[in-house]
Amino acid sequence: MKILVPVKRVADAAQPLRIAADGRSIDGDSVVPIINPFDAIALEEAVRLREKGADVSEIVVVSIGPATAEKELRGALAVGADRALLLETKKAVDPWNVSAVLQAIIASESPDLVIMGKQAVDDDSNQVGQFLAARLNWPQATFASNVEVAEGSLSVRRETDRGIESTRLPLPAIVTCDLRLNEPRYAPLPAILKAKRKPLEVRPLAECGVTIEPRVEVVALEPVDTSRSCVMVESIDELVKQLKQTA
Amino acid sequence: MLLGPKLDADIYSSIRDLARKFANEVIRPRAEELDRDELFPIEIFTQMAELGLFGVTVPDELGGSGLDCLAYAIVMEELSRGYASVADQCGLVELIGTLLTKHGTPDQQQAYLPEILGFKKKVAYGITEAEGGSDVAGIRSTAARTESGWLLNGSKLWINNAPVADIGFVLARTDPDQGHRGMSIFIVDLHAKGVSRSPKEHKMGQRSSQVGALFFDDVVIPENALLGELDRGFYIMMGVLEKGRLGIGSLSVGIAQAGLEAALEYAKVRKQFGKPLAENQGLQWMLADMAKEITAARALVQQAALKLDHGAPATAASSMAKCFASDTAVAQTANAVQIFGGSGYIRGFEVERLYRDAKITQIYEGTNQIQRTIIARDLLKNGIR
Repeated sequence: MKILVPVKRVADAAQPLRIAADGRSIDGDSVVPIINPFDAIALEEAVRLREKGADVSEIVVVSIGPATAEKELRGALAVGADRALLLETKKAVDPWNVSAVLQAIIASESPDLVIMGKQAVDDDSNQVGQFLAARLNWPQATFASNVEVAEGSLSVRRETDRGIESTRLPLPAIVTCDLRLNEPRYAPLPAILKAKRKPLEVRPLAECGVTIEPRVEVVALEPVDTSRSCVMVESIDELVKQLKQTA
Repeated sequence: MLLGPKLDADIYSSIRDLARKFANEVIRPRAEELDRDELFPIEIFTQMAELGLFGVTVPDELGGSGLDCLAYAIVMEELSRGYASVADQCGLVELIGTLLTKHGTPDQQQAYLPEILGFKKKVAYGITEAEGGSDVAGIRSTAARTESGWLLNGSKLWINNAPVADIGFVLARTDPDQGHRGMSIFIVDLHAKGVSRSPKEHKMGQRSSQVGALFFDDVVIPENALLGELDRGFYIMMGVLEKGRLGIGSLSVGIAQAGLEAALEYAKVRKQFGKPLAENQGLQWMLADMAKEITAARALVQQAALKLDHGAPATAASSMAKCFASDTAVAQTANAVQIFGGSGYIRGFEVERLYRDAKITQIYEGTNQIQRTIIARDLLKNGIR
């Protein structure tokens, strides 16, 4: 079984971000980049499937992003991926186009399983897995909290608002991961060194044969004021008035 | 000549990311408890062993991580930013790992390195005695020759890990008539007959480190327990001290950095006279000086690491790094306490612990007075280089 893990380089949401002078993008200087945490969970699951004895022939990580995303891909190789592919672009690519690019990659890589985060924590779209399943006409299990492989099929438990849903999917299939699927490991120091010798291919995004036609345009970004201050009130009426004004 | 790192820059940055993440998520949240209750966090150490944080510079064919001294310095700083006692365990294992790598027989390496780097066995490094700490020539412990080995007698004071250790690396006199040329290092089973230990000492700082005395009363030492050449123990020991000083320099930078981070955050949040502390120029200058000193300390430490990695003379450089960085740790954690005001003097506030943890860095691994003596000796002998 060959596993493809798409990963995205995102800004660490725990660090303060600034909006750039154009008013519609994030100032790159303020960004502390990390691998999208949900994608790290997907990668961890792929490595665990192999460790648990599933017949995994290869784990390939793919990313669409700037040249600097090589660092996150090296990190993924240190965790246990075998090979990495970076489709280099300086522009942000929206979910519909990401799914088109991944479709083209899947045509040449022919994975049996595509496992990815349910969403990226920067734009929170939660669309790529679903778009990709539709384009490929593959079965999908989103919001996975447990994944088991048995005889060419997958058993996936999904977290839904109504509770846990157990599903079975034939391969090839798409799985998107929720927070509680696993806790990603730390890559040991020797693995960081070895990752340097694993194959990592960088290709310009333009050469992957997909015409990027943006469907989403960011018009403006505004900071949310999260500062809170304490106001002392004298009466219930004043409290209600304050709540109406500020809450 | 300017010396550069031997590995690609992104390797060091990945190593820093790992050590920082581990320190933030696993070590730092437990530091207050480990300090308060003087606990030995075996579960943290076991996890560190799995991550290759023990034996950073030990070659990978011997079970280490096969990295260089710069990587080791980075790991030590980041771990220490979490909690200095945890970093100090990393430094101790690194020293013993280096001793075995450089001087161990293949049999000794196979017998001890996997268990020590895997943290299955805990080690102690026994040099200091009542009459000889910085003055190693004052050591009184003896190993008298027998037909099948040696008989060890004497005591060692203030030994890190003594209350919990399984294996001791002990310096003792093998030729009482010779000074430095009559000492040898023995690998001692600390569960053997004749070995006893004092209860652990209750210390001012780095309280999770288990420190105490080891006593040897006619302990039978087999032939194969001699590490390196007979009577060369003093020189063997001195040969790893540069790496030891680099480690303590890095650890000191980590303590100081944790103090700066805490002080910076507090100065932005704490309001007095209707504005954050950080809006007072006097405090801004304090923060600026703290950052400046710590950056200088880190630069000295990394320069010493690069010298060691390039095989350049590093005696003065590692002593300068250790001395400057530990003085910086004490001075800048004191400033961090000052910025916190009364809160900084209260148990439970991180800077209060950092100030206590910093003090020993001026004392252990050679006091800062000894470091200055070493620097001066090198200066007078070799000139400025």
